[in-house]
Amino acid sequence: MKKFWISLGVAAALMLNGCGGGEKKEEKKAEAPAAAPAAAPVDDANAATVTGKVAFSGAKPTAKTISMEATPACARAHSTPQKSEEAVVNDNGTLRYTFVWVKAGLPDRQWPAASNTVALDQSGCMYRPHMLGVRAGQDIEVTNSDPTNHNIHPLPKVNREWNESQPPKGDKKIKQFAREEVMIPVKCNVHPWMKSYIGVVNHPFFAVTGEDGAFTLKGLPPGEYTIEAWHEKYGAMEQKVKVEAKESKAVDFEFKG
Amino acid sequence: MTDPEKDPVVHSSLSRHLVIWSTLLVLSLVWALADEIYFMRPWKRYQARFVRLYSAFLKKEKPAGAEVEQKIKATSEYQRLDREMKAAESAVMAKVKAIDDEVNLTLVPRILALNEKFQESRAEIVALTYKIETASGEAAKNSIRADIEKIKQRAVTVNLPKADGTEEKVEYQYARMEAGLDAWKTQKAKRLQERVDLLKPATELRAKRDQYLSDRMAEASTDVLNGLENKVRSFDIRIRQIHVRDVDLVDRCESCHLGAREPVVLTRASMGGEGMFTSHPNRELLKIHDPEKFGCSPCHGGNGIATSSEEKGHGRHKYWLWPMHYRENFEAGCQQCHYREVVTEMADRLNEGREIFRNRGCRGCHRYEGYDREKDELDGVYQQIRQHESQKAEWERESGFSIAKADKTKDNSEAQRLYALAENLKVRSSGLDARIEQLDMRSKNLLREIKKVGPNLKEVRMKLRKEWLPVWIENPNHWRAGTKMPTFRLDKDEVRAIAAFVWQSGVTGKLAPQAKGDPEKGKESFETRGCMACHSMGEGGQKQGGTFAANLSRVGEKVNYDYLVRWVHNPRERTLPYDPIEKRDLSEEDYKKAGVPFVFDVEHSQSPIGGHELVVENMTPMPSLRLTTEEARNIASYLMTRTRDESYASADFLEDPKLKPRGLFLVKNYGCAACHEIAGLEEEQRIGTELTREGSKPIERLDFALLGHKAEKEGWYTHKGFFEHKLKDPAVYDEGKEKPNKLERLKMPNFNLGKEEIDAVATFLLGSVEPNIPARYHYAPSDQRQDIVEGWWIVRKYNCMGCHRVRVGQNTLFEVLPRYQDPDWKEQRPPSLVGEGARVDPVWLMRFLNNPSLSEKDQDRNGVRQYLKVRMPTFHFSDGELRKLVRFFEALSSQAQPYIAQKLDPLSEQERSMARALFSSEGAPCLKCHATGDPNRDKRATAPNFLFAKERLKPGWTKRWMLDPARMAPGTAMPSGLFAKQGDRWVFAGPTPASFEGYKKDHADLLVRYMFQFTPEELNRLRASAGAGAGR
Repeated sequence: MKKFWISLGVAAALMLNGCGGGEKKEEKKAEAPAAAPAAAPVDDANAATVTGKVAFSGAKPTAKTISMEATPACARAHSTPQKSEEAVVNDNGTLRYTFVWVKAGLPDRQWPAASNTVALDQSGCMYRPHMLGVRAGQDIEVTNSDPTNHNIHPLPKVNREWNESQPPKGDKKIKQFAREEVMIPVKCNVHPWMKSYIGVVNHPFFAVTGEDGAFTLKGLPPGEYTIEAWHEKYGAMEQKVKVEAKESKAVDFEFKG
Repeated sequence: MTDPEKDPVVHSSLSRHLVIWSTLLVLSLVWALADEIYFMRPWKRYQARFVRLYSAFLKKEKPAGAEVEQKIKATSEYQRLDREMKAAESAVMAKVKAIDDEVNLTLVPRILALNEKFQESRAEIVALTYKIETASGEAAKNSIRADIEKIKQRAVTVNLPKADGTEEKVEYQYARMEAGLDAWKTQKAKRLQERVDLLKPATELRAKRDQYLSDRMAEASTDVLNGLENKVRSFDIRIRQIHVRDVDLVDRCESCHLGAREPVVLTRASMGGEGMFTSHPNRELLKIHDPEKFGCSPCHGGNGIATSSEEKGHGRHKYWLWPMHYRENFEAGCQQCHYREVVTEMADRLNEGREIFRNRGCRGCHRYEGYDREKDELDGVYQQIRQHESQKAEWERESGFSIAKADKTKDNSEAQRLYALAENLKVRSSGLDARIEQLDMRSKNLLREIKKVGPNLKEVRMKLRKEWLPVWIENPNHWRAGTKMPTFRLDKDEVRAIAAFVWQSGVTGKLAPQAKGDPEKGKESFETRGCMACHSMGEGGQKQGGTFAANLSRVGEKVNYDYLVRWVHNPRERTLPYDPIEKRDLSEEDYKKAGVPFVFDVEHSQSPIGGHELVVENMTPMPSLRLTTEEARNIASYLMTRTRDESYASADFLEDPKLKPRGLFLVKNYGCAACHEIAGLEEEQRIGTELTREGSKPIERLDFALLGHKAEKEGWYTHKGFFEHKLKDPAVYDEGKEKPNKLERLKMPNFNLGKEEIDAVATFLLGSVEPNIPARYHYAPSDQRQDIVEGWWIVRKYNCMGCHRVRVGQNTLFEVLPRYQDPDWKEQRPPSLVGEGARVDPVWLMRFLNNPSLSEKDQDRNGVRQYLKVRMPTFHFSDGELRKLVRFFEALSSQAQPYIAQKLDPLSEQERSMARALFSSEGAPCLKCHATGDPNRDKRATAPNFLFAKERLKPGWTKRWMLDPARMAPGTAMPSGLFAKQGDRWVFAGPTPASFEGYKKDHADLLVRYMFQFTPEELNRLRASAGAGAGR
């Protein structure tokens, strides 16, 4: 009997002691982060297309003449005075230099990278082209074809700002913008009239209207999208469009003067 | 015989009691042990958990890091560097091996062998030499000398090892041994140096390769991670404490916060959601305040010794006086050592709290050491003057005594000594004159430096619409949301009395009637001249602009146009000067009596009665923008349009003299003179309690009034709780109190602070403690950093940061004003002043700050950046402020003081024409933007006239700027990439004029030397050649 009590006591003591050493089980392990969406090719067979025109209504703006007298080398490049490209209305009543892109609605995935480089030339002390669109990370090749010095100064809000000098016929510069941003104004501090706009987009669905004021966004997966048209003077407008597989739909914009 | 059954020892067993008691004993022992080992030591559990989480983290991190490392190692660039390194290494390997063999197999063993025998002989000679020195008698000495000679001549056989392992026996004499040893040692050193030289390219390449890897790895390398894993594997569960012996500080915080100083970044997410184990969020701060020296609790608060529970360790216990600061107040810890500063790096919330305290007028009622800078300094200056004067008198007296004594003394030399003493005392006292003169000037300065938080109420009659005044006094925040002026608890009668007193105590003066201006132009001026760096416009969500000064959305409802024009033109202009000795404003009459013309301004600041300094300016920090009267009219006209359509009741009672005495009483009672200049109350004392040590006032002395129990129940019976409730509603501690006399109520008005502002002020007050660490830890630098501490007070006082970036990472108003987001307007932003001290010549800076137009004739301009619409105003800084500002900028850039301009190599004629040609060439854009002083050209200029570089800039900075301006000022209009590195010199990146052919020197240097050796003749030559260039 005595032994029993004693051994009970000892056992209890041991047990209690043992308990003390125990530890709580580890909490749930952190889950592995979701894998990044793979770069799958666009399904061409089912791709939809959005086309359209950017029309202009109201009084046609008269383009201002740019005075290049501060830099005679620039003035000499033009036999007729250079007009400002801020607002250019085509003969067919459409608006040139409008950036059209899919602003929202695309699936969260990576699009195949663009392989070509986009050119931005400084010629006759004007940026050529006046407006361009690139993919995020795509190479932009900047050249100076003028006999005078330029500096290229993009003024982004999201991307990193830079400002580099480029001597006459100097080496080409290869530049990229890492993040989506519509639009990045580009200016030359030496020639204050020089201005260009670069639209940086994460996907390949964008266009800049040209002489016919039309645009085509090809290869879209079926879905509902917000299309934005952006113009440096007349602002931006949006439209929603829903496209089925292989469907082609028209979306027209109209800016008022 | 007794019956054993009856024997209590036998028949009643005690084992049961024994078991029960021993069990209890064991249990209590177990409990005691468990408590001791386990429950009272929660950190043991935490440490075990840390080890688990940390090793899991490292395990996960390693492959990711390794993958990155692998990828970098696989890049062609790394491979190339690796190959080059290996090639360089193998190219010299044979030679290196030959050297190693020679050194290790031949030279070293031979040196050792020979050295042994040599040392033996030398020891003998040294011993004998000592004997010579101690021997007596020349004969004995000579005999020892002969012994030494014998040893020297003795032939010693040395077993010299050979490279092949065999030995050869060589016989040596002492002298040969010494020479041989030297020769081998020299040889060895030479060969080893050869080895280093041979391996140098390989070593450099290896460093380059490793650098390439570490430059590209943001995370810790595999090596670091392996090291950490080893550390975790052998982790030892024990108390981890910092002991700072000289301050008797023991902090055991890291017994639980184990990740705080780990070399990898541990976030809550990476440590299984455990906030306890995260890294310290600011490593830079830890670098400055090394925990081994500062501990944790001096900054964070809490009880660093306690380890038995989280609550106790954090000091959140009713018996611990210094609870750990909460997240929203943690910068309070900075204040106890950094109390001399108004701006402390990396403590933005604390800075905001200080700024509210300073700029919202808290310091008007509550004394806070260091916040009455001008007043305190002025008192000090007066005291010093008195001291010096009495010292001077004493010396003069002594000198007289000395002479008198000398005249009478008999001894000539004693007379000479006394005369000399008298002279010396005179010279010394003349030195005091210089010191007194300086102090006197300083006292005049200081009188000018004192500014008030609110406007001068002496001018209300000229400035304001009568009807507006009572509406404003009743509830300023209602009329203008977010205004600096707080809301007092006043009833209608009190409002009437105060308004009437203020109105009737105002001066009447003449105001020039002003023609109307153009409000459209005025709006443009208002938005572009820089007004909005301090003032805001628009209400609610429309509000834009700074918060340093008033919102002007409704200013048209309250002001008199003529006064407003005068104010916009020069806000410092006063109607009458104030005489601090007479304690009243002087009138034209006073000047007339003294026969002095009635003119008072910064140049005419002496009293016609007595000649002492007068207050000749309004005590506002608002500067003069040097606008023309016309532009001032335009702006005023625009401001007059800023009204809401609201009607005001007539306020004729303002003229009722019966109200005045009660008004005066109330104005004194509520301490209005703390922020405003009021006639008759210029020398009023403070009415609030001093707050310098408020954070360490014993909690019982904070008057929670009837809310004490409620506060305890709700858990805010703390300093933090007291401050927050008081700031939110200053009347809160009147709750439930019976105060029939309204004047007994708490007087503090409501500043209508938002949550963030309350947090900021509470942080400031919580840090306002009796420091419990020794004074040597306080931030009181005696070097240049002292100038920085001083300078910030002035920068804050005049809101320089509204327009300028003064420190890295700081934003100005121009970064947010919508107009200045436009690409073309971006270049209209005021210049950044980061690095200003390295940029400009301090003498020039002083001149510029004194008169930013840099011209006596044409004040309506910026002296440097004439193309900027925004105007650098004239602040009418005192000499003392100018000095402090200049020293501040110099110190921020660690410039040696006083400044001595760097000597530049003289420019040869040829170099001069080369530089000129480059400047004006088509390939170089310099003159397209930079002004040259030619008005025709300068119309288009968008950058400063660098031909003034000589007097304005420092050459070293100028070169660094030209090479890469974006590095110093991101977003600047000046492009980078104008020069390219060629070898160790910079050459112009574009086409250079023909004269540059064969020029071997640095092009950037050439241009700097050209600019800094510029002459007026050269200016003409440059203009001519620029003209010719432009005509091409």
